[in-house]
Formats: sequence, C-alpha cells, structure tokens
Amino acid sequence: MKITSVEIDHLAELSNFSLSEQEKQNLGQDLENIIGYISQLDELDTKDVEPTYQVFEMENVWREDEILPQETDRDGLLALAPDAQDYQIKVPKVL
Amino acid sequence: MTKYEITVGIECHVQLATKTKLFSEVDNDARGKDPNTCVSPVDYALPGMLPRLNEQAIRLAIRAGRAMNAEINPYSRFDRKHYYYPDLPKGYQISQFYHPIIGAGHIDLPDGTSVRIEHAHMEEDAGKLNHYDTYSLVDLNRAGTPLIEIVSMPDIHSARQAHDYCKELWRAMTYAGVTIGDLYNGNMRFDVNISLALPGAKELGKRAEIKNLNSFRSVERAIEYEYERQSKLLDKGEPVRQETRGWNDATGKTTFQRSKEEAQDYRYMPEPDIPPIRLSQEFIDEELKNTPLLPKDYRGKFADVLPVDTLEVLLDYPELMRKLGELAGKDNIKRVANWFASVLLAEEKSYEMLSFLPKADYLEELAEMAEKQELSSTGAKEVFLKFFDPQMKGKDAHTIAKELNVLQENDTGALEAIVGQVISDPACAQAVADYKAGSEKVLGFLVGQVMKASRGKANPGTASQILKNKLT
Repeated sequence: MKITSVEIDHLAELSNFSLSEQEKQNLGQDLENIIGYISQLDELDTKDVEPTYQVFEMENVWREDEILPQETDRDGLLALAPDAQDYQIKVPKVL
Repeated sequence: MTKYEITVGIECHVQLATKTKLFSEVDNDARGKDPNTCVSPVDYALPGMLPRLNEQAIRLAIRAGRAMNAEINPYSRFDRKHYYYPDLPKGYQISQFYHPIIGAGHIDLPDGTSVRIEHAHMEEDAGKLNHYDTYSLVDLNRAGTPLIEIVSMPDIHSARQAHDYCKELWRAMTYAGVTIGDLYNGNMRFDVNISLALPGAKELGKRAEIKNLNSFRSVERAIEYEYERQSKLLDKGEPVRQETRGWNDATGKTTFQRSKEEAQDYRYMPEPDIPPIRLSQEFIDEELKNTPLLPKDYRGKFADVLPVDTLEVLLDYPELMRKLGELAGKDNIKRVANWFASVLLAEEKSYEMLSFLPKADYLEELAEMAEKQELSSTGAKEVFLKFFDPQMKGKDAHTIAKELNVLQENDTGALEAIVGQVISDPACAQAVADYKAGSEKVLGFLVGQVMKASRGKANPGTASQILKNKLT
C-alpha cells in the first residue's frame, strides 16, 4: 500500500510534528512496511470472529473513590514543563 | 419564529460529583484551589502511568441513566480520542465512542413534550487554558474530572423548549446526586446544534454548533440569535456554513470560531489501559435503588397537594424539595410550601438560607400552630424567618414564638378579662350602646380595641365570640 506525502503531512499535522523531507520519506517507507505486514491478515476470513479489544481477559478493574497522597507535587510536575508561569504550564498561544 | 422551522440538538457535559478524578486518586473538587494543585502524574501524562477507573463514576453514571429514563448497557468500554491540544497532555482524551454506558432514553418536559436521548457516555474533562497576548497558561486541575456527555436527538424546535430541556436535565442530574450542578463553575455545559429549514423540507439545513454555554438563559438567547442570523442568510439565498461558533453573553451574539467542513480525524482506538466494564444486573439494580427521588417522583408525590406553579418553582431548589419530601403525607405541607415559595425565596439571601433549613419537625409544628390560629399569619412568617437566625439555631417553633411574643391569646379566661375591660372602658361606651341598639358593624371596632389591649396577641375570632356573648 502506497502512503502518499499528503497523508504523511496530514498525520504530522495531527500530531503537531514538524518533519524534514528526509524524515517524511523514511516515515512513509516505514508505514508502508508496517501496513503491508499487517495486511497479511486481510487474507483471512474474519466474518464470524469477534473483534479483540483487550489481550488480557480482564474486566471491571476499578478503584475506590478515595483521595490518596501523590508522590509528586506541583513544583515537581511544573519542573518537567519547558516553561511555567504563575504555577501554570506556559505554552505558545493557542486558540 | 415563523418562516423557517428550527431544529436543535443538544450535547451536555455533566461533571460528576465524585471525590476523586476519573482515572487518578486526586481531589476532583478544584473550586477555590490554586492552579495545578489537584494534579497527579496520570493527569500530567508522565510516561508509564496507569489510569485506574473510579468505581463511583460508574455508579453515578447508572444513576444518571435512571434520571434520563435510559437503559444501562451491561457492557461498555473506553476508547482514545486523539487530538493535539495543551488542555490534555496525553494527546488524547479517554472517552467511550463505540460502547457507551448509557443507551437510549428521554427527558420529559413540564409542557408535556419529550426529548429523546440518543445515548450518554463517560469521558474525562480537559484542563483549562488561560489566554494572554503571546502565550497561554495551562491549569490541569480540571483535567481528568469525570464527565458524562448526554447526546439528545434533534427533537427540540424552539429556543424556549431548549431552555426547558436544559433546565429539566439540570434538575434530573442534580436530584439524582450525579452532579453538584453548580452552573457558574461549569458543572454542566451545553453544546447546541442549530439548523433551519422551510416547513416540510425533506432535509435539515446545514447546522451551526454553539459550544460551551453554561446557563439556560444563554442557551435560549444563543438559539434566538442563530435563528435571526441563519434566516437572514437563507432569505438572501446564501448558504449557512457548517461551523463552530462561540457565544458572547455581553454582546448577545455568536461569532465564528472554526469551520467544520474538514472532517475531524480523531483516530479512535480501544483504550488498552482500561479493561472493559461488565455490569451485573445486581450491581445496576443496587445503584438504581440508591438513586434519590427525582423531579418526576416529586411531581407524582405532590400533584394532588400542591398547585403546579408552586411545585415547578420549588423544583428549582432541590434542598427545598427534599425538605418537603420529609413532610409528605402531612396535612400542613401546603403551608410549608407557601412559606418556601413566597417567604424564603423572596429573601435577598435566600440562596444562603437553603443550606440552613430548619428540621422538618419544626416546620410541621409551626404549620400546626398557624392552622390552630395560635399565630397570626404575620406572626407565623416572623417565626419562620427566625428559624434562619443563627441566634435562634436549634430552637423549635413554640420557643421562638414565645420569645418573639407573637403567640395569640386563645385562653378564654384571660381574653374574657380583657373583653370586660374594653366594655367598661368609657371610651367604648358609645360603641357598646350602639351595638346593643342593633348596629352590628361596631363589633369590628370593639374587636380592634380588644386586639390593642392584648397587644396583638388575642385571637380575633375568639375575641369576637366573647364580645357577642357578653353584649347580648
């Protein structure tokens, strides 16, 4: 399956990546390989097969509604942000 | 609204009244708290963090389902909805796209119409952005707050009906205990889809979506404005564009925000971190049973006792309705309802008073005293208002009435003595003579004199009877 440069641009925009021409070419090739590999499954008849959403057969993994102390505080979290101001994460203007 | 037919569908986000967030164990009530103080590494999307589902959110979703007359789906699960925006650091929102927890339902409005619910699903709220000239600041206190999003069918055909639907939804969710329902703080937010078409048209017109309305009134006004805007375009033969618009409460106008022509590409995929929810009938039934009385229950309970107008006014105040609920079946409930509707709600600080309602027993006692005419209606109102006085806290109706000195004198012995004084008062001699001569209308004057002599505490009916007995 051919991945067009338009599709790469679209995906990059959705994820807010800026890519060089070389990266776009490489990613396109990688995606084509991955999709080609997965597409082998299309050869199987899956008409009567339930979709698999979970590989662990777990259900109802819930927790109590109780406040627990956290291992990190605001300062620790904000220190990880590229920029902060007034105890908030500072980002380029978005609308 | 005449020429075009308006069609409205509403999506409503309801913040659930849980103690903690949907997937992390931090405080869910960020009102009045500093930015980013209710944030965990899960909300912050640090690598390797595992979201863990809050059981209480599931329970409240079941109650919400009951409040909108909907089926609870025994099987539901979460998906990732991808979008890149700083209000959610993960780069996606955990939502229920394919298998929502709440199925089809409906909300019945007081005017007899009904709005169908398509479905309702659980999801997490996003953080709050504060915009400045050249940058934006992100507060993640709200990121991860549990929401249910209620999606209506396009069954609404006027601005007023939309207002009533939102209000009824607010009532249902608040009474059910699903949300605190504080609209000012954004506990419920409405996205409104509006389209116009000529009556009988086979297809609905292109629709505009007004996002993030947080009051019933702004929902109504925004729809009125959109009707004008869209009908002007259609009159001129211009197309209505499918777009998202914002509402400005101050200008009373909607303004263009972004085009919806390009289909959104959220790249939904199953959320691998949260195993699916499978609810047993016992679990569902248990929570259905836990649901407090809903507006429809109160309407059923009080339909024969209270006038519809009073009932509908009081339904806006869950505290008052619950208090009346405690008095259900009592003879004097109508008196109490009237004090709520015409005395309490007329007070400037009625909103604060709602948190300090007197015990149901005290209200019943006061109503009984008024019924037996131990208090005048003015006296009863005075006592009622004193219930809310911090200095009278915990005092019953009789004690307060005594302290205010407003108990009516029903003791015939004491009253007879007062009547005797009035009759022998030289100032009343003429009136007494006139009455004896057959002029009944002076009786009112004499009763007035008795009231005055008793300093307002005499029961006028009893006083009048004693006067008649003594003068004939």
